[in-house]
Parts: sequence; C-alpha cells; structure tokens
Amino acid sequence: MMRRGRGYALDLLTVAGAVVLLLPYFWMVSSSLKTQDEIFRLPIEWLPPVPQWTNYPTALARFPFGIYFFNSALVAVSVMLCNVFIGSLAAYGLAKFRFPFRELCFRAMLSTLMLPLEILLVPTFLVVRQLGLLDSYGGLILPLAVDAFGIFLMRQYFLDLPDSLIEAARLDGCSEFGIFWRIVVPNSRPALAALAVLSFRENWDQFLWPLVIVSREALKTFPLGLALFEGSFNASYHEMMAAAVVGMIPMMVLFLVFQRAFVRGLTLTGLRE
Amino acid sequence: MRQRWTGFLFVLPALVHLVLFKFYPMAQAFGLSFFKYDLLSPPTPTGLGNYRALWENPLFHQSLGVSVKYTLGVAVPEWFLALALALLLNRSMPGRGVIRLAYFLPIAMSQIVVALVWKFLYHPYGLVNGLLSLVSIDRVNWLSDEATALPALAAIGVWRGVPLFAVVYLAGLQAIPGEYYEASRIDGAGEWQRFRYITLPLLRPTILFVVVVSLLLAMKFFVNPLVMTEGGPNGSTRVLPYFIYETGFAFFRMGEAAAASVVLFGMAFLFTVVQFRLLRHGVAG
Repeated sequence: MMRRGRGYALDLLTVAGAVVLLLPYFWMVSSSLKTQDEIFRLPIEWLPPVPQWTNYPTALARFPFGIYFFNSALVAVSVMLCNVFIGSLAAYGLAKFRFPFRELCFRAMLSTLMLPLEILLVPTFLVVRQLGLLDSYGGLILPLAVDAFGIFLMRQYFLDLPDSLIEAARLDGCSEFGIFWRIVVPNSRPALAALAVLSFRENWDQFLWPLVIVSREALKTFPLGLALFEGSFNASYHEMMAAAVVGMIPMMVLFLVFQRAFVRGLTLTGLRE
Repeated sequence: MRQRWTGFLFVLPALVHLVLFKFYPMAQAFGLSFFKYDLLSPPTPTGLGNYRALWENPLFHQSLGVSVKYTLGVAVPEWFLALALALLLNRSMPGRGVIRLAYFLPIAMSQIVVALVWKFLYHPYGLVNGLLSLVSIDRVNWLSDEATALPALAAIGVWRGVPLFAVVYLAGLQAIPGEYYEASRIDGAGEWQRFRYITLPLLRPTILFVVVVSLLLAMKFFVNPLVMTEGGPNGSTRVLPYFIYETGFAFFRMGEAAAASVVLFGMAFLFTVVQFRLLRHGVAG
C-alpha cells in the first residue's frame, strides 16, 4: 500500500513537471488571442474572454512575414539536403573504404564540432565577404551546408551495414556511386530521416548567421523577422505572441509527424541547440 | 589503385567544405588576432596589441566572469534535473506515451520564440510576477535588475535543456540490461542500492557525455542575452560570445574580436578534448 502511494506521488510529479514545462507555451497561445488590455491583467486570466483571431492577420501584416517564412523554409530545406547528401557521402567513404589518411580525415572532421558558428562568427563573416556572398542566399546557405554531426551520425549507422550487401552489388557490376545511391541509401532510411529532421529543425531556427550577413529585407529569415518585431517600437505582446505562434507551427508539425526520427536523432548524435 | 582512392572521393566534398568554412576561418581568426582591422581600411599589424587590449579591458574580464557563471548556472542543474526526469519517464505509468510527448515537444521549439515568450513572462506585469503575487511575493524587475537578470536567463537555459538531456539519459537507461535489476532484486538489493550500484556505474559514459555537451552548448549560447537584455543591465548578462559579437559587428574592432574568439575557442577546446575521449570510449565504442 505504501509503495502504491509513492508511485502515485511520482506520477503526479511527472505530470506537474510537464505542466511547468508547457505552461509558457500555453500562455503564449492564450495571450496571442487576447486584447492588449487583457494580457497583463490581474488576477491571472488563463483564457481570453473572447478569442481575438484578428490578432494573427494584424501581426503578420506588420512585417513581410510571408517572405521571411519562405526564406526560412528555403534555407532550412537547402541546408538539410546538402547536409544529408554530402554528409552521408563522406560518412560512407569513411565507413566502408580504406584509403590513406582516412583516420586523419575523420578526426579532422570531428574536430570541427568544437568550432560552432557562434565561435567562428567573425572569421566566417570575413570569408563569406571575400567570396562576395554577403547579403545573398548563397551566403546564407553555403557556410551551413556541411555539419560534422551529420557525418558522425551516418558513419555510425553505415559501420553496421553488412559489407556483403555492397560486395554483391559490386560483383553485379554496379558503379561505386550506384552502390551508394541504389543500395546504401535505401537501406539507411531511419538514420537519414533522423539527420534530415534534426538538420531542418536547426536551420529553420537560424538567427545569428542571417543577423550578421543579411541586411536586405528580401533575405531575412523568420526568426530574424520575429526579433525585428520585438525590437520595433510599436510592438505589443499580444501581436508578438501571435507571430511567435506562427513561427512555432512548422516545428510542431515536423515534430509530431517525425517524432520517432527526431528522438532517435537526438539520442544518436548527442544534441544540437 | 582505383579502389584505393574511391573512398577519398566520397569524403572530398565534405572535406573541402570544412576546410573552407571551419579550418580556414579558424586560421584566419588566429592570424587576424595580431592585426588591427575595422573592415574599411586594410589590416595593420599590432603584435599582441589586441590581447593586451583585452587584458586591460574591464568589460572583457566582466564578460569572462559572466560566461563562467552562466555556463555553470545552466549546465550543473541540467545534469541532475535531466537525470531525475529520465528516471521519472523510465517508470511505467498510465499515459506514458503522451507524457513523454509533452516533455519532448518543447525540444523542437525555436530559440527565438523561446526568447520572446520569456521576455513576456519576465515582464514586470507578466505571468512570473503574476504567479508570485499569488503567494504574496512583491514584483521583481527580472531582466532590468543586475541581481536577477543573469539567473533569470540561466533559468530559461535549464528549462530548455533538461528535456533535451533527459532524452539522452533515457536512451542510456534503456540500454541497461534488465537482467541486472532482476538479479539484484533476487539478492535483496533495495531501490537506492540498485540505483547506486547498477544504474549509476552503467550510466557513466552517458553522464560524462551529458556533462561535456551541456557545458559546450551553454558556453556558446548568446541569443537570449542578445534579444532579451542586450547584455545589460550594466553588462551583467554580456556572455563572452556576445562580447565578441559586439566587438566585431557593433564596434568593428575585428582584430580584437578575433583575439577574443581565440580565447573562447581555447575554452571550447579544453572541453572538447575531454569530449573526444568520451566519444571514443563511450559512444563510438
């Protein structure tokens, strides 16, 4: 009887933790549907008396959020495709071939994990400037296109693929790239999906890099747009929360649809912020 | 002979990219740290001038201190809370799937959305003070008071990081073979003893991994100070990466920013050397 009581207490604690965790998001959605007068009202009103759906179109009309949304999607998808393709090519080379300096290559690539963009912000900016790519999609996408985490994740997966699969295709006269494309890739869907989801998540969220290299309105990403909204003098929280909810939707959908790939990816790579 | 280089060809595109966008910039930062450069006029050599300027800049020292406080203030609570959460989530309970979903969903949230929401929550008339008023605690100006701004930002980091690391711990917990627990139960070991003598030792690689990664992630993060407090009040939330950002892109002292990057890189390097060991022993096997 004692045990059961404790079990219930722990169940309750687990649920309470989830409430604390989700409360800020609930408050965001709730506030996005309130009027300006209602958002700071005390005692706390958990739900808007009358949901103000018009906050959404009003908020989204303040800045060209359609363009920002498109840019974020474009950057996230392009970077994800590059990341998955180039990363898995490299991972396959490292996992299934022997060549001179292979270990050195792998270590060098892994060592770039300690060079995140936040640390290399200034010099990366200078490199992109030298390439003449400031204020362009190329400049937004190119520096992010390869990530050692992806290479590491895919390599772990490829190491476990049976060599016999590859040997058989080779005996059938398949080209080396053909083997990769027609045999290895179809057999690695779970890992590729995990990498794709993580990469999309991270790059949908790009904020610092666009902040540094983009000045044209037409190239700004959604997170950058949200930050601008926050900084603008007539910003009011109910509208800001509405814009934030819209920015949150792609991530939510992505997570709910690809939940398993997402969690698998997190556990495989260690994590990204 | 063809076979010999095939593997290298697969690796080549990624290698070229990383050289161009990681190693070359790093080398350039190092080189640039010995020059004065404002983007407009060509760089002029100053020897150790930038490092000396940093050393003599009280804001840099303050920033280092803030960074250390923030990094530890976020990472240390994460280690314990995430493990506790993983243990909770590893129990069987009704609706476990939904509960886990509730915990993992916020991991997908955008960092800028998090910053905006919390700025709203920490508003003097916001929800945090609203809830505190229920227990008769006076209003606090969380983000504009030097004493509370950094802890307020660290709390967000913890709130965001705990589910993330709980996922990792959970994977570690589930990798422990159930027979160990069965055997210990037969031997009459209590719950605490099972945790202390089975779970903890077998979780060691995971724990070390979480420790290092959490430190690295907290160390480089500066979106919240940038968006929520602009490093203030009085520099009390100006973490080192934000200091670098400001020096480079607000004051255009690129050389000095590069020198500060080298310092930050040194710190990251220290942690990562440890991480490498872990990856080789633990995860990569």
